[in-house]
Amino acid sequence: MSRDAHPPTDARRRAAGGGQGRRGRRGRALEGAERGPGAKQPGNGGGARSPRVSRMASAPTSKYNSHSLENESIKRTSRDGVNRDLSETVPRLPGETRITDKEVIYICPFNGPIKGRVYITNYRLYLRSLETDSALILDVPLGVISRIEKMGGATSRGENSYGLDITCKDMRNLRFALKQEGHSRRDMFDILTRYAFPLAHSLPIFAFLNEEKFNVDGWTVYNPVEEYRRQGLPNHHWRITFINKCYELCDTYPALLVVPYRASDDDLRRVATFRSRNRIPVLSWIHPENKTVIVRCSQPLVGMSGKRNKDDEKYLDVIRETNRQISKLTIYDARPNVNAVANKATGGGYESDDAYHNAELFFLDIHNIHVMRESLKKVKDIVYPNVEESHWLSSLESTHWLEHIKLVLTGAIQVADKVSSGKSSVLVHCSDGWDRTAQLTSLAMLMLDSFYRSIEGFEILVQKEWISFGHKFASRIGHGDKNHADADRSPIFLQFIDCVWQMSKQFPTAFEFNERFLITILDHLYSCRFGTFLYNCESARERQKVTERTVSLWSLINSNKDKFKNPFYTKEINRVLYPVASMRHLELWVNYYIRWNPRIKQQQPNPVEQRYVELLALRDEYIQRLEELQLAGSAKLAEPSTSPAGPSPMMPHVHTHF
Amino acid sequence: MEFSDLIRTGRAQAKLLRGPEAPPLRGTLCLTGHHLLLSPGPQATSELWLLLLRSVDSIEKRVASDSGTITLRCKDLRVLQLEIEGVEASLDIARSIEALSSLESVITSFPFFYRPKGLRLGDAWHFHPPERYYKRVARETNAWRLSEVNEDFSVCPSYPRAVIVPRSVDDGALARSARFRQGGRFPVLSYHHAPSGTVLVRSSQPLTGPQKRRCAEDEELLRAVLAGARPGARGFIVDTRSSQAAKQARMTGGGTEAKTAYPGWKRLHRPLERGQPLQESFVRLVEACGDPQQSTDSWLRRLEGCCWLAHVKEALSTACLAAQGMEREGACILVHGAEGTDSTLLVTSLAQLILDPLSRTMAGFQELVEREWIQAGHPFQLRCAHSAFSHARPKHEAPTFLLFLDCVWQLGRQFPLSLEFGEGLLLALFEHAYASPFGTFLCNSEKERCLCEVRTRTHSLWSGLNQPKEQRKLRNPLYAPNPLAIWPSVELQSLRLWQGLFLRWIRPPEPSEVAWEKVWQIVTDKEKTKLSQPTVSASEPQL
Repeated sequence: MSRDAHPPTDARRRAAGGGQGRRGRRGRALEGAERGPGAKQPGNGGGARSPRVSRMASAPTSKYNSHSLENESIKRTSRDGVNRDLSETVPRLPGETRITDKEVIYICPFNGPIKGRVYITNYRLYLRSLETDSALILDVPLGVISRIEKMGGATSRGENSYGLDITCKDMRNLRFALKQEGHSRRDMFDILTRYAFPLAHSLPIFAFLNEEKFNVDGWTVYNPVEEYRRQGLPNHHWRITFINKCYELCDTYPALLVVPYRASDDDLRRVATFRSRNRIPVLSWIHPENKTVIVRCSQPLVGMSGKRNKDDEKYLDVIRETNRQISKLTIYDARPNVNAVANKATGGGYESDDAYHNAELFFLDIHNIHVMRESLKKVKDIVYPNVEESHWLSSLESTHWLEHIKLVLTGAIQVADKVSSGKSSVLVHCSDGWDRTAQLTSLAMLMLDSFYRSIEGFEILVQKEWISFGHKFASRIGHGDKNHADADRSPIFLQFIDCVWQMSKQFPTAFEFNERFLITILDHLYSCRFGTFLYNCESARERQKVTERTVSLWSLINSNKDKFKNPFYTKEINRVLYPVASMRHLELWVNYYIRWNPRIKQQQPNPVEQRYVELLALRDEYIQRLEELQLAGSAKLAEPSTSPAGPSPMMPHVHTHF
Repeated sequence: MEFSDLIRTGRAQAKLLRGPEAPPLRGTLCLTGHHLLLSPGPQATSELWLLLLRSVDSIEKRVASDSGTITLRCKDLRVLQLEIEGVEASLDIARSIEALSSLESVITSFPFFYRPKGLRLGDAWHFHPPERYYKRVARETNAWRLSEVNEDFSVCPSYPRAVIVPRSVDDGALARSARFRQGGRFPVLSYHHAPSGTVLVRSSQPLTGPQKRRCAEDEELLRAVLAGARPGARGFIVDTRSSQAAKQARMTGGGTEAKTAYPGWKRLHRPLERGQPLQESFVRLVEACGDPQQSTDSWLRRLEGCCWLAHVKEALSTACLAAQGMEREGACILVHGAEGTDSTLLVTSLAQLILDPLSRTMAGFQELVEREWIQAGHPFQLRCAHSAFSHARPKHEAPTFLLFLDCVWQLGRQFPLSLEFGEGLLLALFEHAYASPFGTFLCNSEKERCLCEVRTRTHSLWSGLNQPKEQRKLRNPLYAPNPLAIWPSVELQSLRLWQGLFLRWIRPPEPSEVAWEKVWQIVTDKEKTKLSQPTVSASEPQL
């Protein structure tokens, strides 16, 4: 895509339009760097149709910045944009050290080649344009890099054909062209490889070097005992056990587990032998009123011969009996039926009717990590660097990404519905119980329990169902690991966050957090700046003393909560959310998946949020004034205006005009 | 003819099903000349239910041994089911509804009988006359005048009595130019963009025909347009047909402006879908949205197959082109297709929304609809005779106005603060354009409205909508005046299906209304704190 195709006219045009008035002007000064060339110029799709456009291609600045990670200093830099002093212009975290810098040509897929200087530290790759008419800045944590390739050779001809092509985990690629003489790129390649993939070079992951200080300690957010106490546990039927204190029962489970009161520790050990990787059924969530539960585990080790295990069968019955009212335990196997059958060949399987009389098994048809990985790859193919133009919707359909989202949500809705109706307790598993199982239990809990829809509640949910129960973040993301083609990698957590986003779209008042919160979580899922998502399980994290040696992502978020708040949020207790999981009501998360493309960039969310925040501030002011009046004894004014007529459903006109 | 002749059975016992969410209603069904009523009986608590017969788009009847079921598909895309006791009664009622809902006479339609409390006849009709807009233009430039050449609708039957034209062109020349344009729609001012000193002009196609006829007065008129704009301004003619279609039109007497005849003007072709294909796209989309056995895995493909969003994209990008021409390139823009009553208006009205902050206010938008659609002669009666459910072969139906509303909705979604009105107003306009107790959308032109005395004998929708009680659901609580142009992203990835309209009756009651209400509460609170210092509403257009 050449520069001519997107004349800077568009940039100005878009900048002017995107700004939403007065606020926009202020916004432009502060955030000009974030604004891209804007809407595709409607007239120049066909080039010759709008003759004026090409003439104006020499118009000024196209400001555009590809960073999205939270970093205030960047905004400051891009505003003045002239100060070339390294120490002032390149943002640096405490503990971040400079490695090298180099002049390169950044081959921007949207604006063409741009000359710039790239600064590499042990945490990030930072590029600033050296061209006077461009304020482009790239700020990419090295953790985001999944693959570095050399393009072109010493003899390559053609402009900008020699350099590096960097594939990122966050739906983009970065290409840099370098001078051909003197092995100039070997340096950069070696340094990037070293610091982007520290594991292969016996270097520490940056999180262990990060010396950031926050006034809140995110590691204290999740305390399992407190969380279970909040759920009313232990109670008569459920106890907290420390049997896994040293991770001896199950090395991928947390130390603290909630199990049926009537099951002894010996029972648990015997059940563990019959469950894949000893991941026995344990409680995830209990309904505060009807006391039905969500229990999670891995597949039973049935195998080809159809083995049975009396202890496991009895254990499941004990779980069922924790609630006297129910006659059947519902088992949701997240996999497609055929996959569950196929797993028998490798020793796994599912609960048969014969062995488990008091259980009903349903398959949820959610595909495995490999299918999800390929699906996301197809999404990237149609959105980066160029968005598929001609058959956008059918191309999107053929990625099946939204269909997978739909199946995950549908599964979670079924789990939530069973539990909320009080008809049955639910046991959820897939193969190992750390991917699809985590998606289903955490989404169902999000639907059932409004606590998890607050900022801290959501952090606890992620910390509990994902991090402590051994979703293999290290393997799925590949932190600091150079094996980009590792079959263990898969966007399972991203898919979960996408589901949460879909829910937040459908219930705009139900969540305390906003879109930026979710995107920030995803950015730091890869960045390696925080210890939160490192390693595969709690035991490994404990061995590495992660909580002592690294900073938690929740420290960053909780010390600046206002930025992540949804101003629409209305706290509601006991409201169960059932999202509509039909394809018609799901949409591609454009602000995440296509965020690098400046042409797709929609109205900046900032002015909207800014406006909400202003309104909220005014309301607070009002409430405060009201309280003052009340104190002053003005009883008449004491009625807060919180009871307007309910939302008037948009009834057809004839109803109101009789 | 009396309505009573058409009513075979006036009343019956019935059960009404209103979709999955609302509970069924039971009671006595009554049929009047204009309405279907369901009275729930003395002991019931629910209210009287009422449906304007005009809003019924199609009827389907099924009978069992002692009852019948009538399915009513409404023009606002609702689907209702009536279970009626007695086979005869149900068939009679179905036939009566069929006859009454398709009456063609304008003056016996409900707006001529509708006399709501609190409204006075004649109110607000003169809210947006062409004279009013001319006053604004006259403050900005001296190059245009208000011409009454069409006072008796003889020059152009689909134009209003007064139109704004270049000052240097006299009425005689206008009349001759009109004879050179289809339907007499000679070029008139649509919008004056004061910041750039350029204008948006619209017309119908020139009648060049196979002999490549020319018309000196028409050429003079367009020359005068350029002469009245900022010095050195060029012109672009945005033809909403493909160049091939424009050429073909010559065979039937139409055509397009020849390059040599109009120096300074350059033609651009931006084909927009219109007429029957557009109607079919609408029908297919509604079908897909309402399909109960939605084969889920092909929804997106089906949505794409409907092409509706592609039409939205084309309309928006053509409007952007016109707006960009004025604002960025300082050029004058003439928009026309063939008749100049459909896609032409779509482009000119959207371009104004993009450029003109006043048109994004509540009053300004109503003025825009009135001026650029109703008075500009969009044939509402023909285009909106049927909505998406009619089994009849479409003749003149086309959802051009709906497409406009959809584009406005997309603008509002991309610029959530910049429009003073909300989705509620757009939904109301959609409903009323197809069936309404008000007279605003009746007839096809000002001329017809005059003949039917619509202005004096019916109430204006605007006075209905501008009552204080309606405001909360029509306005955008987040509105903050934005003095800049709003340039939408027209990529398909940035466009969405308008769920609030197309899935309105399918999806469960929307939580977004809860959010809406909450924002309103905050805003109202804010206003209360300001009570002590009353300020003039910023939304008042300074026309």
